[in-house]
Amino acid sequence: MTDGDAILEVRGLTKRFPGVLALDDVSLAFRPGEVHAVIGENGAGKSTLMHVLGGDLSPDAGAVYLGGAPVRLAGPLDAQSRGIGVVYQELALCRNLTVAENVTMPTVAARGAVRPMPRAAMRDMTRRALARLGMGHVDPDTPVSRLSVAEMQMVEIARAIGRDVRVLVLDEPNSALSPRESEELFRVVRQLRGEGVCVLYVSHYLDEVLGLADRISVLRDGRHVETMNAADADEDRLIRAMVGRDLVGATPFALSPAAEASADAPAVLEVAGLACAPDVADVSFTLRAGEILGVGGLPDSGKDSLGDALFGLRPRSGSVRVDGREVGASSGAALRAGLAYIPADRRNGGMLSTMSVAHNVVASTLGAVSWAGILRRRAVERTARAQVARLDARISSLGQRIATLSGGNQQKIILSRGLVSDPRVLILHEPTRGVDVGAKAEIYAILRDVAAEGVGIVMITSEMTELVLQASRVVVVRAGRLSDELTGAAITEEAIMQRAVP
Amino acid sequence: MSAADVQSAPGRTRRGALSRLFGLRETGVALALIALCVVLSLATESFLTQTNLLNVGRQVSLLGIMAVGMTFVLISGEVDLSIGSIYAFAGLATGMLIVGGWALLPALAAGLLCGAVIGAINGLLSTYGRLPSLIATLGMLSIVRGAALILTDGRPVTVNERLGADPDTLAAFEFMGQGRLFDVIPMQLVFFAAVAAVAWAVLAGTTFGFRVFAVGGSAKAARISGIRIEAVKIWAFTVMGTLAALAGILAMAFLPSGQAGRTGLGLELDVIAATIIGGASLAGGEGTILGTILGVLIIGVMRNGLVLMGVSPFVQELMIGLVIIVAVAIDKWSRRRGG
Repeated sequence: MTDGDAILEVRGLTKRFPGVLALDDVSLAFRPGEVHAVIGENGAGKSTLMHVLGGDLSPDAGAVYLGGAPVRLAGPLDAQSRGIGVVYQELALCRNLTVAENVTMPTVAARGAVRPMPRAAMRDMTRRALARLGMGHVDPDTPVSRLSVAEMQMVEIARAIGRDVRVLVLDEPNSALSPRESEELFRVVRQLRGEGVCVLYVSHYLDEVLGLADRISVLRDGRHVETMNAADADEDRLIRAMVGRDLVGATPFALSPAAEASADAPAVLEVAGLACAPDVADVSFTLRAGEILGVGGLPDSGKDSLGDALFGLRPRSGSVRVDGREVGASSGAALRAGLAYIPADRRNGGMLSTMSVAHNVVASTLGAVSWAGILRRRAVERTARAQVARLDARISSLGQRIATLSGGNQQKIILSRGLVSDPRVLILHEPTRGVDVGAKAEIYAILRDVAAEGVGIVMITSEMTELVLQASRVVVVRAGRLSDELTGAAITEEAIMQRAVP
Repeated sequence: MSAADVQSAPGRTRRGALSRLFGLRETGVALALIALCVVLSLATESFLTQTNLLNVGRQVSLLGIMAVGMTFVLISGEVDLSIGSIYAFAGLATGMLIVGGWALLPALAAGLLCGAVIGAINGLLSTYGRLPSLIATLGMLSIVRGAALILTDGRPVTVNERLGADPDTLAAFEFMGQGRLFDVIPMQLVFFAAVAAVAWAVLAGTTFGFRVFAVGGSAKAARISGIRIEAVKIWAFTVMGTLAALAGILAMAFLPSGQAGRTGLGLELDVIAATIIGGASLAGGEGTILGTILGVLIIGVMRNGLVLMGVSPFVQELMIGLVIIVAVAIDKWSRRRGG
């Protein structure tokens, strides 16, 4: 495949990790002045491709061509000096340094220790880069730690575009942004495109890819499936290309609306006047058995502290009752009362990451699988096996470390830990973050089954589709308080947005 | 990574089958130990003799008993620097009690209790006190050493009849440190084996062991699972303190004398080194008793072998340092390759 117009090309790119062919003979061409989206399920090879382009990984076979000539990218600095700037998914700023120090870091590093960069030049360069992104109001001397997440992202982009960027790679750039901030990001992306920059845009959000990209390339299992013009694409086509099959009856994008819990179902969870520093001000709601209450809201609205507050992980005030009984503010009390909690951050909250699948399943129910403090191996195995089967988690053995599973399977195991104690109420925070499309649909199906058995579910999430399609009722958090509730046909993205934005 | 992980699963299973007995990490240490033993058997006449091997066993026992405790602390995500001081304090205190005419069991109980209490204080400071355990136990290192100096007024403590110990008590006490079971196996080694066996069972097969791994690997997930992190860590420190006291008491019984300014100085570093060589991670969540035993044996066999080969003690120190770095480096590299 050759493309005369291409500014950046990869040909026959192959990268192997132990047990995984992350990139398999991938050839792609990227043109100047286009927004080129790269999509695929988790593990499709998107991240590996970005890391190769960023000079962070060297391919086992194949090559990168810049302006038609093959280049060997010796490292991130080399890539940047050749005009390839990469912004990875995780923010990678030095929070203890100022905006200017962060933005000029590659330049300073390239100059070496012998020719330090004058402060004035650093400020100057930063001011120009920020102005180009419409961020002229940010003082270059501000410590990065004082910026909002969205501003930090812009600082990262400012650093990546440097002096003269030809290709800008954005890896899931808005997973932490509010819709309004995302709009701002899109504006910047379009502007850079207008200036002739090639923007590589990696994302999970298909609607946003369709709205932003000129062309879309789909990767699956490390292989390039197809590249299409965005004008010819729609969500169904993209999903088919990503998944390689039709999601028969299980697509999360076309589910029937969640069944309403009957109005006379008993209240399982009653929350009144819940407050929790720093951002939950006053939250009250009632959850009935068998319903899925969706909780939406922007980042910083207090939504992201709600799970920890409900489960008693942080000091709180107000009342939390399960089946009418007050629950103490500790995780032990919460578990005894019949609450279970699946936090947003799998790595630092969900998983017992150094432990096996089986041990992760039984962690919250040790009493039931032990006798006088001695673990009963059989009981552990039996419980774990039953849960793995129930949630259809794909594992190679019960002794396998949970950290080696895919995101979706990790989440299923963590979910099973919540379910194994037969909770009355399940609190979920971002239940499908970093989970691929197939596993997402399965997790939704599990949640519906669980709700149908009479468990009340609180689902705190940033994903609109999740709220609209999975919740039987939706409330929106703004400034630490809940909006009025939306039910049935009134649950629309517009209605949720209206209540979310200040 | 769903598809990719499923594909790679058989590879994992195969690797698991090869090292089913030990698990990947211990296999590496075990191979290193075996290689070391083979080399020493060929290079020296005296290494592969019953006398020498039992001697090595005795020499590593006290280190091993403490390393077992350190395994708990490291897995729980903490570290304990105060154990050299606990070792000295408990040994000296027990010795003084026996000299003061106490019977063996009460004296032992008092000595072990000292260790347990100091350990619990370490745990309290590191949890409810919100201090990093590195700092808390660094402080306790000095405090306990100072307490031992005050207790003994800086003078050596010697346990013998002339100073007032009951002869029968003294005989029993000295048997703990110097005696041999069936006239063959050093009692210190018997204590080490018993401690290791119990610890292995606790760590691998009890809810407490489970909780130790859970709090070290992922504190928030452990809390969400209803595990009381503070309690688990305090217990881990208490186990450590008790075992350090046991080692100190056995050392006292072996010599049988000690001095607060000298006994057990710097021991904590040897113990941490052995535990780390055995595969425990300073980041928590990782470690096994078997690995720790192997780590202790590597240090012990290495020391012994270098002595047998007539290598200068200065070079010995240097070699031990190299072993620590190489062992941990191999472990890190192999794990990075394995993803």
